[in-house]
Amino acid sequence: MNNKLKVLRAMRNWSQAELADRLDVSRQAVNAIETGKYDPSLPLAFKLARLFEMPIEEIFDDGHEG
Amino acid sequence: MTAMKDKIMTNDPQRRRIPGMGWPIAIFVGTAMLAGAFAGYSETRAELGHPALAPWAGAMIAIGLGAAAFALYVRRHADWFRQWSPRKRLYWIGLVLAGTLGLVSAIMLQANGDTDLMSDSAMTPTLAIGLSALWLIGLVSALIIYHRTIDDHERMAYQIAGLAGFYAFVVPCPMWWVLARASLAPPVEAMPLFVLSLTVNALVYCWFKFR
Repeated sequence: MNNKLKVLRAMRNWSQAELADRLDVSRQAVNAIETGKYDPSLPLAFKLARLFEMPIEEIFDDGHEG
Repeated sequence: MTAMKDKIMTNDPQRRRIPGMGWPIAIFVGTAMLAGAFAGYSETRAELGHPALAPWAGAMIAIGLGAAAFALYVRRHADWFRQWSPRKRLYWIGLVLAGTLGLVSAIMLQANGDTDLMSDSAMTPTLAIGLSALWLIGLVSALIIYHRTIDDHERMAYQIAGLAGFYAFVVPCPMWWVLARASLAPPVEAMPLFVLSLTVNALVYCWFKFR
């Protein structure tokens, strides 16, 4: 699944470690999500949506049109 | 004004320097080496006809000094550790507890004269019961803390690694068993299978956690 996490993080000038602290997860988890090696659980996806103040579907893209 | 700005920046939690991992590793290795030195000293005393130290004495002194050194390290970087969330703090307490457990077990085995990790040599009942109780209580406590504090990503890595470790046991075990029955292999032993399972588990865990 594609996501805009890296762009959203860069826009706020946060490092992976800073974002990880804000989400209360490990830096490896942030890196794995950003590189598409791991899809976050629903609670973590909601946490990300709340942190970036945007809907989940604007952060994550499953490639399905419509 | 500049001094005020500097003060604010110094107190900014995001700007505090991350303490190096060199000291914790040095403390861990130093504790193990100190325990080994005590065991060697005790053995030399026994060889010279003097009464040897109690097997636990050197180990306890080494662990006590190691714990004191680690407490000093934590105190020195207290500001940085205070930034951690309760989850992260508990997670590392669990890991340190598990590491200490391994160190204590290794020191107790070394005090018994077992320098080989896979040794099958005889052991006193007191030591065997002590180690079993330590693993049961200590490991279960450390695992409860660990599983309550890991994040989603680590849980995924742990679960896949656990499954891989399980397959590393259930696939070779019956193969070895039937080969042994046909006298094509030595009798089945638990320890090599245990080590294989743990090795596969550790490798798969590291791959999914750190790749």
